Amino acid sequence: MDKKVNYDPSFATEVYNNVDYGEEIKMCMQCGVCAASCPLSLEMDYPPRQIFALIRAGKREEVLGSRSIMLCTSCYSCKVRCPRKVPVVDVMHGLANYALKKGFVPRKNTANFGREFWAQIYRLGRIDEKDLPRRYFFADGLLEGVKNTIGFMDIGMKMLFHKRMKLLPEGKIKGISALRKMLDKASQMGKGGAKE
Amino acid sequence: MKYFLYWGCSLEASGANYLASLEPVCKALGMEFEEIEDWNCCGASISYVGANDLAIKVLNARNLAIAEKKGRYDIIAPCSSCYIQMNKVNHEIQTDPDLARKVNAALAEGGMGYKGGIKVRHIQDVLFNDVGIEKIKAKVKRPLNGLKVAGYVGCQSVRPFGEYDSVEKPSVQDKILSALGAEAVEFPKKMRCCGSGIFLSEMDLCLGLVRNILEDAVNHGAEIISTVCPMCSMNLELYQERINKKFGTDFDIPIVYLTQLMAVSFGMDMKSGAALDYNTIPPEYAIRAALGH
Repeated sequence: MDKKVNYDPSFATEVYNNVDYGEEIKMCMQCGVCAASCPLSLEMDYPPRQIFALIRAGKREEVLGSRSIMLCTSCYSCKVRCPRKVPVVDVMHGLANYALKKGFVPRKNTANFGREFWAQIYRLGRIDEKDLPRRYFFADGLLEGVKNTIGFMDIGMKMLFHKRMKLLPEGKIKGISALRKMLDKASQMGKGGAKE
Repeated sequence: MKYFLYWGCSLEASGANYLASLEPVCKALGMEFEEIEDWNCCGASISYVGANDLAIKVLNARNLAIAEKKGRYDIIAPCSSCYIQMNKVNHEIQTDPDLARKVNAALAEGGMGYKGGIKVRHIQDVLFNDVGIEKIKAKVKRPLNGLKVAGYVGCQSVRPFGEYDSVEKPSVQDKILSALGAEAVEFPKKMRCCGSGIFLSEMDLCLGLVRNILEDAVNHGAEIISTVCPMCSMNLELYQERINKKFGTDFDIPIVYLTQLMAVSFGMDMKSGAALDYNTIPPEYAIRAALGH
């Protein structure tokens, strides 16, 4: 009986060409040190090592829809330990960015939070730590927003009473329009963007 | 000793006690700071959701370019997320000519350019290597008399390059703590991640990470935990009640910045110098007990 499995390399090629740091996974030798080092690997459906194997096996939906690619805390344990020098953190971030661009939402809350985070950088040049949670809490509508805000009052009040909240709203940096031009250019030039 | 201080967004808000204590402490040690004029956010850990990698690099390169144009001092980034972002981008630009070209093409859109002539450093690095333990010791007027401190290094303050300390078993913070007269408590989770930038959006999962860190520190005898990162500090300090509720624990351990302990031991005022009143779990009791007040 023929037990040969034919892998479809098209998804791997898609990742190498379009995902930031995607081609780095070619170095992975499936040792699993990344999975053993990750603080949240037990919460993942596929730890990083398996994600890389699934990419090679052509499992597009499984990878781009996997919660794992958005559970990276950016602690860099995997990156400093990988014996093949795969920058696992950067690959996971690249995969998350790519999945969201392609319409997958591996983790809704982090997607909402991250989108507001970047939108604020683009709008102001800095992060306003009061405004960001507010926008994040209301990302799913008014009702959810009110519920989230009330649920976070204990933490917010502590910060307010202990001078850990900036009362004035954060203004735009002076060079905001120049910064936006730079970021727009970088978005076009980057992997998966329009070419240079 | 002159440096650019890139304090970043958090140190103006949730990490205000870090900046408030860092400035007088560094001044006492003879350091001089210049702000990076009109600096922007580093993009921290979560920007990848909205931006590609090159945009995040350009965001950081703008700060580097402003600093380089103004002078050639090293940049100190006290926030570990700022440090890892900026330092990583800087290294990549310095070692990858193709990337440097792309970054500069984008910077040029805003009339800027970066040659790669700046160094980015964490405050622990500067305190340990430029100032030095002896000079820190010489400034100590009120030794912390064996106060048991767990020096929580966190995940991003030494990684990914390990330029000034071990990426697995760091010791710099403990050496500084010892210089202040504190007893640096050894605890295995001193570099285990607190959840960092996804804490808020993945709180259910990250509360467990923080519980494990607190438990480890307390079980090894810590009376207080010191940090060098506003994310670490916030995640460890503000959510202890929630952790207690969720896991049936009874944590009530103060979380302070290393620079706050330095300010106290340098004889500065507990409030105006060390900014201890910014902390939500009061550290004064443990500190005063050690000082014998």
